[in-house]
Amino acid sequence: MAVPEIFNTIEQTGISTWLRESQSIFGFYFILLFHTIGMSLVVGANAIVDLRILGVARDIPLQPLKRLFAIMWTGLGINVTTGLLLLTAYPTKALTNPDFYVKLTFIGLAVFLMARMNNRVFGDTGLSEAAMVAKGKTMATWSLVFWIGAVGAGRLLSETARYFFYGHPAGG
Amino acid sequence: MNYAHLHLLLNHVPVIGAIVGLGLLLISFFGKNEDLRRSSYIIFAAVALLTIPTFLSGFGAQQMIKGPGVSDALIRRHEGSALLSLWFMEATGGLALVGLWKSQHAARPPRWNVLAVLLFSLLTVGLMSRTGNTGGDIRHPEMRPAAAATEAEGAIKEGPIGAMISPFEPDPDKFADAMTFSKWWWTFMMAAHFLGLILIIGTVGLLDIRIMGFLKQLPVAPLHRLIPWGLAGLGVNVATGLMAFAARPENYVFSLGLWLKILALLLLGLNAAAFYLTNIFEGVENVKAGEDAAISAKLVAASSLFLWFVVITMGRYIQPLVDTLLGTN
Repeated sequence: MAVPEIFNTIEQTGISTWLRESQSIFGFYFILLFHTIGMSLVVGANAIVDLRILGVARDIPLQPLKRLFAIMWTGLGINVTTGLLLLTAYPTKALTNPDFYVKLTFIGLAVFLMARMNNRVFGDTGLSEAAMVAKGKTMATWSLVFWIGAVGAGRLLSETARYFFYGHPAGG
Repeated sequence: MNYAHLHLLLNHVPVIGAIVGLGLLLISFFGKNEDLRRSSYIIFAAVALLTIPTFLSGFGAQQMIKGPGVSDALIRRHEGSALLSLWFMEATGGLALVGLWKSQHAARPPRWNVLAVLLFSLLTVGLMSRTGNTGGDIRHPEMRPAAAATEAEGAIKEGPIGAMISPFEPDPDKFADAMTFSKWWWTFMMAAHFLGLILIIGTVGLLDIRIMGFLKQLPVAPLHRLIPWGLAGLGVNVATGLMAFAARPENYVFSLGLWLKILALLLLGLNAAAFYLTNIFEGVENVKAGEDAAISAKLVAASSLFLWFVVITMGRYIQPLVDTLLGTN
């Protein structure tokens, strides 16, 4: 399959080159750092809500955990931003790697559940804790599965890359 | 200060620390003294933490002294011994933390836990002494009667105790190969390291921000009950981190990022001590929904959050800073 020329065009832009090659501590690894911090916010907060719904630390009142969704959305915002920057740096590497689409699929599913839980379980303040747990249980289980899948697929990216950048296949 | 200095500074801590901890534990049985047992558990946890930089600095020290006149075989023997005793020390520290957690609101930790700590600390003392001995053999020929034999590669003559232990000690190169031969295993370790991080930040971070005064609708005590999940994450990350290091030490040991990360982890140990071993924790545990924590508790929570931020940051910067400490003598 031919690699679209547009990836090359992106890689030749100033911002893409700077992100890849700058020796500044605010370059590539700075973006990667915030991608990691965003991950720990969105997945960390979501995992706590999931675990609580699944029966861990039952004496934590459930309704106030609604506030954690603000942390999750903030983390997601950080990661969409930093993710797009990382994609700008390495469009060929990311978009020619099938695992990248696996990761995006897991994230899409997990975020869908996050929004759904935010609305259906935490959106209705009239619900009792028991009703919230009953409504959220299946979502919580799958949310954990999808986030673990997303993190795993993310870590696998560097091992499965087919190209480093345009016209440079990953060795062997 | 160089790696050899650092290794010499730290390398008696695991040996002596494990012996002191075990001594206190044994005395606590005779006097049925719970305070003494608790002290021994705290020592095991602290020594397990300090053993990490001891282990890491060893590889740096190796790079500094290797060359003519120093037997490579003796260094490898010491490394293999350290690779074994390390896990027993970390397991002892982990079991001690479990015991400390379980005895929070009980008179004493469960019986299985006391027995496990006793067993693992006994083994640790033996294995750590062996690690200390094999380390000393590298540079102290006056202590090894079989010195002549050790000059030739691979012809190390073990004493009766060494002969018993050495079959269990991994060959450092084989261990490294086992860690890196499959990209799936490596990815699994790295993903586990990230999931451990998520558990730590999700639980400890949440507790920290609540104590600092955010999310006040939540009472503190039930949030604190999430901490074992964070400790489980820490356990996963100590294990996967040390395995990754032992697989590719040259990718980590000369990076300023690694050492600042370790420094932050040691400070987090002190921070945890300031939280649990003073009256701060008692005060915080009773903070109910809507109430404010004491200023001392807020400070400890804020420094915890800051130090975890440093741990993540420096972890991410290990790679770009990979050779920053090369040639610092």
